[in-house]
Amino acid sequence: MTLGTLQIQPRLSVGWREQTAALVLALLAAGAVGSLLIATAGTSVLAAARAFVQGAFGDGRIFGETLVQSTPLIFTGVAIALAFRARVWNIGAEGQFFAGATAALWMTRLLPGLPRPIMLLLVIAGAAVGGAVWAAVPGVLRARYGSNEVVTTVMMNFIMLFVLSFLLTGIWQDPGSFYAQTERIPDSAYFPRFVPGTRLHLGFALALLCAAGAFFLMRRTVVGYEIRAVGSNAPAARLNGVNVATTIVLVMVLSGALAGLAGGSEVAGLHHRLRLDISTGYGFTGIIIALLARLNPLGVVPAAVLFGALINGSTSMQIATGVPVALTAAIQGITLIFVLAFDALARYRIRTVRPDV
Amino acid sequence: MSELLQTGFIISLLAGMVRFATPLLLGALGELVTERAGILNLGIEGMMLTGAFTGFMTTFVTGSLWLGVLAAMLSASLLGLLMAFLSTTLRVDQVLAGLGINILASGLTFYVFRVAFRDVGTANLPNIAVFQRVRVPLLADIPFVGQIVFTQHVLTFIALALVPTIWFVLYRTRQGLELRILGERPKVLDMRGLSVAARQYAAVVFGSMMAGAGGGFLTLASAGLFLPDITQGRGFIAFALVIFGNWSAGRILLGALFFGLIESLQLHLQAVGVGVPQQLLLALPYVLTIVALVVARQTSREPQSLGVPYVRSA
Repeated sequence: MTLGTLQIQPRLSVGWREQTAALVLALLAAGAVGSLLIATAGTSVLAAARAFVQGAFGDGRIFGETLVQSTPLIFTGVAIALAFRARVWNIGAEGQFFAGATAALWMTRLLPGLPRPIMLLLVIAGAAVGGAVWAAVPGVLRARYGSNEVVTTVMMNFIMLFVLSFLLTGIWQDPGSFYAQTERIPDSAYFPRFVPGTRLHLGFALALLCAAGAFFLMRRTVVGYEIRAVGSNAPAARLNGVNVATTIVLVMVLSGALAGLAGGSEVAGLHHRLRLDISTGYGFTGIIIALLARLNPLGVVPAAVLFGALINGSTSMQIATGVPVALTAAIQGITLIFVLAFDALARYRIRTVRPDV
Repeated sequence: MSELLQTGFIISLLAGMVRFATPLLLGALGELVTERAGILNLGIEGMMLTGAFTGFMTTFVTGSLWLGVLAAMLSASLLGLLMAFLSTTLRVDQVLAGLGINILASGLTFYVFRVAFRDVGTANLPNIAVFQRVRVPLLADIPFVGQIVFTQHVLTFIALALVPTIWFVLYRTRQGLELRILGERPKVLDMRGLSVAARQYAAVVFGSMMAGAGGGFLTLASAGLFLPDITQGRGFIAFALVIFGNWSAGRILLGALFFGLIESLQLHLQAVGVGVPQQLLLALPYVLTIVALVVARQTSREPQSLGVPYVRSA
């Protein structure tokens, strides 16, 4: 495209400078639109921003809460980064989160008397298996029948919500409660909290471990190589002896297990019971986080902390200024669009050229 | 159980089928045109949701249902422009662009709804009077068929009429031929000096307007109120219908009627009080969408270049 002596050309390679610039611009743009939204709600942007920062980073304890909030987001972000790396579009992390939470809770109901270390292991394993099973269905259908996994994972999300609503208003409902929720899990299943004065729990450490593990898997193992190969060129990977169908199922199972751990960690680490509102769309926020981190599992960690801060900051902003907390949902969508657009723009450069004569 | 066999019940069930099929049909026909032009529009869920929201808000404020329909289509077409810009101009991965549209629509509608109605709970949701059904003169007097097909919303008649219309345009007009070539071999058009981008923009905007109208139907003809994420995956079901229908308008109609019947059945069985857990009935459309994708996996008419951004030099 040519405008006078300016010409827009594709770059030969996109380096880290362009990528970083795109990221910074995307976040700035999202912040600007977010401020605009606050202003249209009739609130002082400055007052809102002050409440926001106070609620996300105010002091050590508050920042601890931000890390608590980012814990499930690290899990779902890594889950989606793995799947998207193989170009397997797992939009079902939300359902897998609840499948994991359900399975973890089921373990505590099934074997309530176990000693604590065994109980904790069982809860963690249950959460991973629950999420993995829920993700395996769309994985197998994609690998075996070519069924579009965006559609099937979204459908699995809805099905999970109805399964859970059935349990929580039926056989699992806390008999002493009017709400659709289970009883508290036994003390032995509580994740230990390890930083005095904060609610930081075992789940956070586990999430960091998973991010590091996923990074290692992708960079240093054959499986990781195969996942990346399927993602960059599936037919070529097949010619090179990669079993594409198996890799698709495997990456879905891994992704589901991670999303399931998010659910188990929220139940055992934070809420100590199962309710339908223990996730405010962590599975979908994970998509934005993964893309913000450019599908790098280690990059997911700071991105997740950023969105944990967004959620907590917005809550305190609502209390202080009345701006609806739904703002977080809007900002998430805006961020995603800007990240996609600026990433694409980073592939081009503007050059001055001599006009053709 | 005797209630289930009465003619009144069956007529009501089948009329419900046609009614519930409408938003799915509108969305799926729009998606069909978009995909024929080579663009995979997964943002259809967000476009329907936006249509449902702005349609409701416009009617709530102005009191005019048809202004609501117009607003539903226009607002969704803005998202369509964004989708076309991302996928055709910037060549962003179309799956990601579509997801972005969905998350954006979900967040924005939720936020604006909360800003507009700060103190509403489930008990005092703002609502509007919905469209009345219309009897087609003479045809509505035919026994059974008249009550099922010819006593419906105007939007339903439009949706049904669009099935043969879209077939005709796609297969019997020059513009339709160009559109289909776009999804197969866009280079052919480009080499003849015809703009690929302009046609793709037009197709995506048309598809998004249809999705917006489908979403508008949900609030303006069915619910009469708005709830966050009120579309409940119907956009994705409409998307699946295009695959299920093997990219043919006639089969898409059959699919839409099937899912309309399921939704109608849910409502009627709940009213009669069959001893099935409510959640099982509610989960049925989602389970059947997965089943439909697996059972009907003919892709013989899938556009070859679907989802592949067109690059001239390639």
